[in-house]
Amino acid sequence: MAAGKLPGERRLRNRPLAEQIALAVLAVVGAAWAVAALIDTPVFFQPVLFGLGTGAIVAALALGLVVAYRASGVINFGHGAIATYVTYVYVSLTDTGDYPIPPLPNPLAPIEGIGGIELVDFPTMVGMGGPMHPALAMTVALSTAAVLGLIAHYAIFRPLRYAPVLAKVVASVGIMLFLQAAVVLRFGSRAKSADPIFPNDPVDFLGVRVGQDRFWLLGTVAVGTLALWLLFRYTRFGIATRASAENERFSTLLGFNADFQAGVSWVLASVLAGLVGILVAPITGVTPNLFTVLLISSLGAALLGRMSSFVIAAAAGLMLGVLDQELFRLEFEFAWIPDIGIRRALPFVVIALAMVVRGETLPSRGAVQAERLPEAYAPPITRGRMVGYGLLAAIAFWVTVFAPFQFRSGMQNTLIGVILALSLVVVTGYVGQISLMQMALAGVAAFAVGSFGTSAGLPMLLTLPLAVLSGLGFGLIAALPSLRTRGASLAIITLASGLAIEEIFFQRSGWFGLGRTTKEAPTPEIAGIEFGTTSEFVWGDGKIPTGVFGLFLLALAIGCCVSVMRLRRSRLGEQMLAVRANERAAAAAGVNVAAIKLSAFGIASFFAALGGALTAYKLGTYAQDSFGIFVSLSVLAFAYLGGISTVGGAIMAGTLFAEGIGIVVTNEWFIDVGPYTAYVAGFFLIATAVYNNEGIDGFQRRQLVALWNRLRGRRRSAPDKPPAGVGASNE
Amino acid sequence: MSNPSAPDAVLRTEHLVVQFGGLRAVNDVSLECSRGQLTGLIGPNGAGKTTFIDAVTGFLPDNASGSVALEGVEVFGRSPHRLSHDGLTRTWQTLELFDDISVRSNLEIARERLSLVGALADFFRPRRRDARVDEILELLGLEDFAAHEPRELSQGQRKLVGVGRALASASSKILLLDEPAAGLDKSETAWFGEQLRGLVDEGHTLLLVDHDMGLVLNVCDQIHMLVFGELVASGSPAEMRSDPKVIAAYLGHSGGSA
Repeated sequence: MAAGKLPGERRLRNRPLAEQIALAVLAVVGAAWAVAALIDTPVFFQPVLFGLGTGAIVAALALGLVVAYRASGVINFGHGAIATYVTYVYVSLTDTGDYPIPPLPNPLAPIEGIGGIELVDFPTMVGMGGPMHPALAMTVALSTAAVLGLIAHYAIFRPLRYAPVLAKVVASVGIMLFLQAAVVLRFGSRAKSADPIFPNDPVDFLGVRVGQDRFWLLGTVAVGTLALWLLFRYTRFGIATRASAENERFSTLLGFNADFQAGVSWVLASVLAGLVGILVAPITGVTPNLFTVLLISSLGAALLGRMSSFVIAAAAGLMLGVLDQELFRLEFEFAWIPDIGIRRALPFVVIALAMVVRGETLPSRGAVQAERLPEAYAPPITRGRMVGYGLLAAIAFWVTVFAPFQFRSGMQNTLIGVILALSLVVVTGYVGQISLMQMALAGVAAFAVGSFGTSAGLPMLLTLPLAVLSGLGFGLIAALPSLRTRGASLAIITLASGLAIEEIFFQRSGWFGLGRTTKEAPTPEIAGIEFGTTSEFVWGDGKIPTGVFGLFLLALAIGCCVSVMRLRRSRLGEQMLAVRANERAAAAAGVNVAAIKLSAFGIASFFAALGGALTAYKLGTYAQDSFGIFVSLSVLAFAYLGGISTVGGAIMAGTLFAEGIGIVVTNEWFIDVGPYTAYVAGFFLIATAVYNNEGIDGFQRRQLVALWNRLRGRRRSAPDKPPAGVGASNE
Repeated sequence: MSNPSAPDAVLRTEHLVVQFGGLRAVNDVSLECSRGQLTGLIGPNGAGKTTFIDAVTGFLPDNASGSVALEGVEVFGRSPHRLSHDGLTRTWQTLELFDDISVRSNLEIARERLSLVGALADFFRPRRRDARVDEILELLGLEDFAAHEPRELSQGQRKLVGVGRALASASSKILLLDEPAAGLDKSETAWFGEQLRGLVDEGHTLLLVDHDMGLVLNVCDQIHMLVFGELVASGSPAEMRSDPKVIAAYLGHSGGSA
């Protein structure tokens, strides 16, 4: 074993020099600011007092993240969504006394759908007899949180104990999508509030007038931090959990039940999340996205605390909140500071700093072993298979051109979805690097289409490459921190990069932005021939969208699929898989790991940007909401669901894609799944991560292989002689 | 290949030190591996053998210092993949094979360095089968398993895949084998030793790290011994057999190690 992994090397106190310097710089900046605050108290203090409110939420969420990580090595992207869900339960209970039932599948739905009748009215809420007392409501809501924690542990993360990090990240993203969709389905996406819990009479503090509830919140977070620190430092439970995090096998041998500890910690983390939400709801109000957006800052804070220190995580969280308000004030006060959303990019900057300073990886747990990654299956090229591909292309052609208009539209969404999913097949499937920013890159390409195409009036043959290059450039820059990180840290950094791009560029209108409604793409046209969604076309029924743009998409999608298939078989593709399997060994075998990662991010950015540019041309008029951070997450969800490591999986993902052909067919022929798409996708994403990490594509491939073997076995009585050595594997 | 009558040093380390916090895992080690020879590096558990290999192959850039010369060229400080291209190839005690791809691909990856142009050319016109890979597979008796994934092979065969991958490196000048016999039983170890001898007879230069004294004494031409990071003895197998320091380290007269 390399001595670099001696236990002592990992401990908190043995921080590398660079990290100590970074912390020292932070302390100096803080001190300088404090001096300035003493000179001109109210001006400097106001942002602090305002910022401490947000900071307390960020800190509290960070505490929960650390608890869950210490117990089970999972960075829970669904932590914010748990807070949201529990908060809505609480708000609903105090408001009307209704307890929401998560949307359940109606077993009669197929019959109802085909028959066009409604047999039963499925309940959505259970009345609890009018508005509930806050204390009682809080008990019920926090019990819900505890149950969510138990489910998260026993149904999701315990089965994933030895799974690759990718599966854990994907499962927690699934939790986020699922719970958020549940909230939107039950309560809509409008903001809600609740009656105050803390006294909120304003007080004067150093010449600033603020609601005193902030101080209460702050105090609660401080007490919570202290309690957690004591719990994990001095109790038998805490010490055992720490021991398990260091070395699970060893602590199990010593008689600790690592599994039970993890379960308790998950409950603790969920209840913490719920408590944060309930306490915050009266102060800021709550929207379905609120805590998930704040969670990105919390992830940064927790990372600064190395996912293990409660005190540092909480302090960093508070500081992020203050810094945010301080930057806001500076932007407001000094006109020369460009209004480019610097403060919005703050979480990214902090996370990037934490990564670059800390380098390498998170403290990796000494888990027993990692299960294998989804197989990057490269189908043998046979004549039968080529006929199959040809048939598939022919069907796609027919649907694209001749099917009724809603199917044609679904097909266009699917074709773009395939290209977007391919970007994740390359970077995540082949190289194992998790990217949660692909739609941000797509958005960059999309606004470039509007800027170069419409504003500058360039022809498409220039606009499209320029747009793709813009996305590619952003992707490569954002990929730089990835060279020193991997696994869950990389997921966080890409999430933060995506958010930074979104906040800095997408909110604004004009050349470098998308705006809320403003962006327009020109009609695609090459050599005087128009082929937009509304352009006339000789085939089809003439309704919009006509088939011609779909054909353009089909040609590109087929080209992309063939390219990725060839990539898989090429030397570059093999080196990518080597990096995915084992970075150290790849380097020792002469593979330039950094170059391979960068090229993968480059190729993936290319596909993402192409998908974004095509989305722009398809939509014609578009805005930021098509390219937000949550769209990125659902792209990952669909790609994983389809099969993250194969081209077939990408095609499957495109079919399932939002308003893709699969969804259209389901809507037209069976039931309207529209509003439930995210909810169902979240559910199946979790299920896929836990039970079948190869997605739909791998699943059906195995079924087909099994069927084929059975048929063949029946035909030939004597099976082929099994290759020697098979079955004689180790252990 | 080389002229066997003039054994020159393929690999030479001078004053190699690896420091982890307060612990000196490798302390001022200077040694040589001669061309066409099988050099052994032995020592009890925790002696710093693997750390030595990690340092030589560039995996401990922040902890190591000293000098590493490959055929007289100073290579210390280069990155692992660069060193691999330069001809310094290694295996791992824990195998570290690429489990998702075939045995053949495991070897092919080590064959050539991939440039941007090369990657593009290969994308549009895929390479042909590499004859050298077939040779190595045959040499190691793995030709029947080329299309299998490493996980389908026996432990001994997997070890050979690791050796094969290191051998496949187009420019391999010396092969550093980190406890290749760990986990093999007596007869497998003996057989494995024969394979190694075969490689040396073919003209390869090897450094074998192991704590199995039997294997090392039987197959090596020259042996060095590390104890607590320090080079305490060097010599031929016969000399080592009778060296009191070696006997002390292995029989525990100088105090046991963890």
